[in-house]
Amino acid sequence: MKRVVITGIGAVSPLGADVPAMISGIEAGKSAVRHMDGWDQYIGLRSLVGAPAKLVNEKAIPRVSRRSMGRMSKFSVQAAEQAISDAGIDRALLTSGRMGCIIGSTMGSAESLNETFEIMIPDKDLTKLPSTKFFQCVSHTAAMNTAQYLGITGYVLATSAACASALQAIGAGCDLIRLGKQDAVLCGGAEELHPTVTGSFDILFATSSGYNDKPEQTPRPFDAKRDGLVCGEGSGILLIEEYEHALKRNAKIYAEIIGYHTCGSGVHVSQSSKDSMAACFRQTLADANINANEVDYINAHATATIHGDKEEAGAIREVFGDQAPVSSLKGYMGHTLGASGSIELIASLIMMEKGCIYPTLNLESVSPECNGILHVTEKLTKKINILIKNCFAFGGINASIICKKDIK
Amino acid sequence: MTEQDIIELTNQVFEESFEIEKELLKPEMNIFQDLGLDSLDVVDLVVALQEKFGIKIRNDERLKTIRSLGDIYNFILALKEENLSLNALHKQE
Repeated sequence: MKRVVITGIGAVSPLGADVPAMISGIEAGKSAVRHMDGWDQYIGLRSLVGAPAKLVNEKAIPRVSRRSMGRMSKFSVQAAEQAISDAGIDRALLTSGRMGCIIGSTMGSAESLNETFEIMIPDKDLTKLPSTKFFQCVSHTAAMNTAQYLGITGYVLATSAACASALQAIGAGCDLIRLGKQDAVLCGGAEELHPTVTGSFDILFATSSGYNDKPEQTPRPFDAKRDGLVCGEGSGILLIEEYEHALKRNAKIYAEIIGYHTCGSGVHVSQSSKDSMAACFRQTLADANINANEVDYINAHATATIHGDKEEAGAIREVFGDQAPVSSLKGYMGHTLGASGSIELIASLIMMEKGCIYPTLNLESVSPECNGILHVTEKLTKKINILIKNCFAFGGINASIICKKDIK
Repeated sequence: MTEQDIIELTNQVFEESFEIEKELLKPEMNIFQDLGLDSLDVVDLVVALQEKFGIKIRNDERLKTIRSLGDIYNFILALKEENLSLNALHKQE
């Protein structure tokens, strides 16, 4: 099988419009979580916090491309442009049929879906619907808009597995390259913040609602006072490439993707399962052909839900013990859902590049049920050769990716 | 509503919905070749004109013959005149 390397990264996150802005925000210990004005009009919505991303210079996208894009597709296009420019690929590759585009999200644009229903439902009238609403609402909106905008003619796919969407997109891209079906794939996830999205978690009591007046103190991954997740938005896109292809053009290589696995829990649609998470870790390690003790850093999913964090900590404890440092980035950017896997993998690659580990923001007192793993609560200087990034989604979907820096 | 009102409101649709500069909005302009609209834009043009003028034109066969901005002005003007004569007819009845 062919080998896969990461040669380009791009992100629009709650901390800023590109990767350097995100990293400087994390390094400053900044929280992007805000009180969401106007959300209190929704009856029953308890969580009034979110981590919005700023859409900058959207008119730089020509109208004919922009008209079919909801907010998440605009984030995705901007992050993709960054990744392509970072990778320095010849633009001819985009239209060669040998480059694909796989971008996942929980669903289509929430804002556009809401607008569609607002137009259609009051008078049961379809004649008022603009032609492009459909393209903003479909599940593959970020993938197809990004591919169309860039002229990509290879595989165009959209993974849709809620919070595991981005990692599944990267994993699917990885598989295509391993099999020799594509030379490069632009892949990742995109998501947008909307009261209907936060509301879908809120009705399940999975959101944070006790910090509405002190938003920067939530979410609190692994902390004893955690009370749920906070939704965020943005997009993280990586350019992954066949190893020899990258070598030939003398590309900068961030890391090799040496392991990937995704699996279902077969247990429950919303309750995370420690055993199933641990099984996913073991399969990913097997795919990478390494032992658990070779992993230098674990970038946790850890969204700060009571149950999810407990299960993930338990699975990490069981498979990796207490030697590998663990941190979650949700405290800085909230949970960017379908984009979280790629946004947080990109931040992890920067940690790998810089030889440091960013701590879990808002982790002040480790919850007893999350003990027994090596939590990072202050910035740690450490050489990272191998890291694992985890994502766990509603629907009982698990996904993990292992990256390695030293490539022979 | 005067002919000038119709021209101005139609031009507003092109500025607001299709981001076309005012200077380009001349009656002889072909909406496809000169102003860059495509099949999706035509759907949105109909929605926007219906909204702007409070009319129902989605199933009007004359839409298929529209090529220039002037054709749209004339189409709306014709609708207005038809409406006036219809109203006059109703009054006679």
